[in-house]
Amino acid sequence: MEDETPPPEEHSPPPQPTHTGSPTDFLKGVVGKRVIVRLVSGVDYRGVLSCLDGYMNIALEQTEEHVNGVVTNRYGDAFIRGNNVLYISAAEKL
Amino acid sequence: MASQILPLELIDKCIGSRIWVIMKNDREFTGTLLGFDDFVNMVLEDVTEYETTPQGRTKKSLEQTLLNGNNICMLIPGSEGPD
Repeated sequence: MEDETPPPEEHSPPPQPTHTGSPTDFLKGVVGKRVIVRLVSGVDYRGVLSCLDGYMNIALEQTEEHVNGVVTNRYGDAFIRGNNVLYISAAEKL
Repeated sequence: MASQILPLELIDKCIGSRIWVIMKNDREFTGTLLGFDDFVNMVLEDVTEYETTPQGRTKKSLEQTLLNGNNICMLIPGSEGPD
């Protein structure tokens, strides 16, 4: 029953950085969630983020295309090339 | 020589505080800066997006947002934006 709490290490690892809000961390946290992707052109795509890469290339599921707040198209799956992306916004609290 | 501070160090000091982001086009954002990377892609929280059109300015609230650095022009630390 000993060893309930391990003894403190002589050389404890350096403290984690206080901010973990980097773009990479955001993207890790947002995969699988509902997002709003706005293109530079102003068109919005709302859907479930299935995956993305460092270029901000994006694959969305259950996608709705919004132009001026009006749904203009629905796609089961959509690929968005990253150069067009203005922002990726979480549509729900993370 | 006085100690230099790099531009991105200045932005690093802004993490956790409000920031006003002005884009190359007629768009602006304010929010709390959570982080950024070498491309100045930025993660913001409690975001307001402002779009200036000939009809006036529209506002839109956003949850946590990753803003593409490609279209960012200017950053103003500690500002609540155009209002």
